[in-house]
Amino acid sequence: MTDIKEISNDKQEAFLSRWASGEGIAFQDDEAKKAYQYRCGLIKDAVQLKKTPDRVPVVPLEIFAPVMLYGYSGKEAMYDANILGKIYLDFTRDYDVDATAIAPMVMYGPALETLDYQLYKWPGHGVKEKLSYQFVEKEYMKAEDYDHFISDPSDYWFRIWLSRTCGALAPLAQMPPIYGTMELPMAGPWLCTLGAPPIQEAFKALLKAGQQSFEWINTLGSYIGQIMAAGYPLYAGSATKAPFDVLGDSFRGTTPLMMDLYRRPEKVIAAMERLVPLMIGTGVGGAVANNNPLVFIPLHKGADGFMSNDQFEKFYWPTLKAVMLGLIDNGCVPCCFVEGGYNQRLEYLADMPKGQCIYIFDRTDMTQARKVLGGKACIGGGFPISLIVTGNVRQVEDETKKLLDAVAGDGGYILSIGCAMDEAKEDTLKAFIKTGKQYGKY
Amino acid sequence: MKDTQLLTQAVVDMEEDKALALTRQLLESKTDPVAIFNAYQDAMAEVGKRFEKGIYFIPELVMSGDMMNSAMEIIKPYLNESDTRDTGKKTGRILIATVEGDIHDIGKNIVSTLMALNGFEVRDMGVDVPIDRIISEAKEFGAQIIGLSGLLTLAFDPMKNVVERLEQEGIRDTVKVIIGGGQMDDQICRYVGADAFVTDAVAGISLCKNWLNGSI
Repeated sequence: MTDIKEISNDKQEAFLSRWASGEGIAFQDDEAKKAYQYRCGLIKDAVQLKKTPDRVPVVPLEIFAPVMLYGYSGKEAMYDANILGKIYLDFTRDYDVDATAIAPMVMYGPALETLDYQLYKWPGHGVKEKLSYQFVEKEYMKAEDYDHFISDPSDYWFRIWLSRTCGALAPLAQMPPIYGTMELPMAGPWLCTLGAPPIQEAFKALLKAGQQSFEWINTLGSYIGQIMAAGYPLYAGSATKAPFDVLGDSFRGTTPLMMDLYRRPEKVIAAMERLVPLMIGTGVGGAVANNNPLVFIPLHKGADGFMSNDQFEKFYWPTLKAVMLGLIDNGCVPCCFVEGGYNQRLEYLADMPKGQCIYIFDRTDMTQARKVLGGKACIGGGFPISLIVTGNVRQVEDETKKLLDAVAGDGGYILSIGCAMDEAKEDTLKAFIKTGKQYGKY
Repeated sequence: MKDTQLLTQAVVDMEEDKALALTRQLLESKTDPVAIFNAYQDAMAEVGKRFEKGIYFIPELVMSGDMMNSAMEIIKPYLNESDTRDTGKKTGRILIATVEGDIHDIGKNIVSTLMALNGFEVRDMGVDVPIDRIISEAKEFGAQIIGLSGLLTLAFDPMKNVVERLEQEGIRDTVKVIIGGGQMDDQICRYVGADAFVTDAVAGISLCKNWLNGSI
């Protein structure tokens, strides 16, 4: 493992500064602009480890929690952009967080219905209406598909994977690859196949889902504009994933992928290496479009208990690291949401340029995380969701102080809940935020 | 080393092709199919032990399980039904379910596998299991332990409701309740009224074994 790297990153400094300046946002007044700059500044200072922030930034990382807090069901939030937008606007103002939730992450139910989307169940569609969405893991990619994936991920993704994860797009698998279009005499088969009624229907469904989503984001966009105009940054500009998790979550599934580590390890590695530039591009593209350098990366199947350190070092970390470094090279800030425990893996996470990424922890020992990563990378999280959901105000205040004492140091910490928050209680969540702001003063 | 021991070793070492070839070879050379079956059982037990020691992880657990399943397809025609029935003395009855509202099963499946390897009679009810079904199944099965799984915070209340129903039915004292999942902690254990919580499979197995050793 290499020593901590002091590499200046002008590109990242410029992107963070541009984001923190609020350039391009039509603020409601000067006060809102100042508040926005202050909040972004807290996060920027916490990330860069160059200057102690005024206080610890408080970013709870909520997804469906605001919906439940304002008395709505998951279904209402997923089927009505005005309901969702209003909830997120109210939540952001009432709870006064330093960076707020990203409404489009809730997604639009009607568009998913149009696609006959299989990768998740959602409220009113396989899950009770009051709840949030849940992942449906299956072997969407077969073992024999690796060569296709490796030779041409985009073709595989579009024609095969989409056809298996969206019922309405199943006919796409019957399309020939696009490459015959290079010359007039060979273009016929591709174009003619597009005319086949099932393929026409599939494209119509895709276009309809696109149109539905476009109308939805236009409605939602005005609320997001109001949130930012009121002085609140969003906690991420885009999201991407560790290549191992792309394969393990959405393509092969956990069990088949874990067996692939023995049966076809070279193919797993080749597929992940193909994913590296694609995952960098996904993260950078969204961040630039949203003028927010924070790229959210939820980490899933490299956690303690899933695999050995040797396997982590061989299969999980190299391509995750490459994605993170690629994001950094493009001026973005990888923000890894380290789900589960990483007590056996902290040393790996330290192997990054100083002050250029964020690790938000779930069940990792925070004192140890601080010890290993302190002065090297910004850390966050570690607050138990259990206390927010079932505890009382006193417990939350005490635990928040205890956590801050252990890990806030002289900067480099973001106070967050340890998991993506789908439910909460008003009194405990407000106590968490208030205590964080008061007790987190440097 | 005996051929069956070589087979056990091959499975433990994750040498899939070698294990299958040895299995075929042993069957062709008229080795007692029960001995071959037992070689796989021994291998699974060793894999389970290594998992509990933190030497092996999910890849080895699922790989060895799959090797065993493939082998059973070949061995089955040579076995009498009685040969594989109740191969070992069961140490205890555990009912496992992911609670209502939650459809996650990776963690639960690992626990089920390890419990079975440790000699438990496991009844795995799957995911999103309604409280009524858990209660009736627990009674019918005579469960000594109920293991409730849930990845999401939405699992807290259904878990609590299961314990409350056990109390209402007057059978709370006859079973131990253990909850497992990514967000379980002492706070949730008290909230639910469970006897214990765990966040990893190995801790769960060890707890359940201790309970049985103390005769629940």
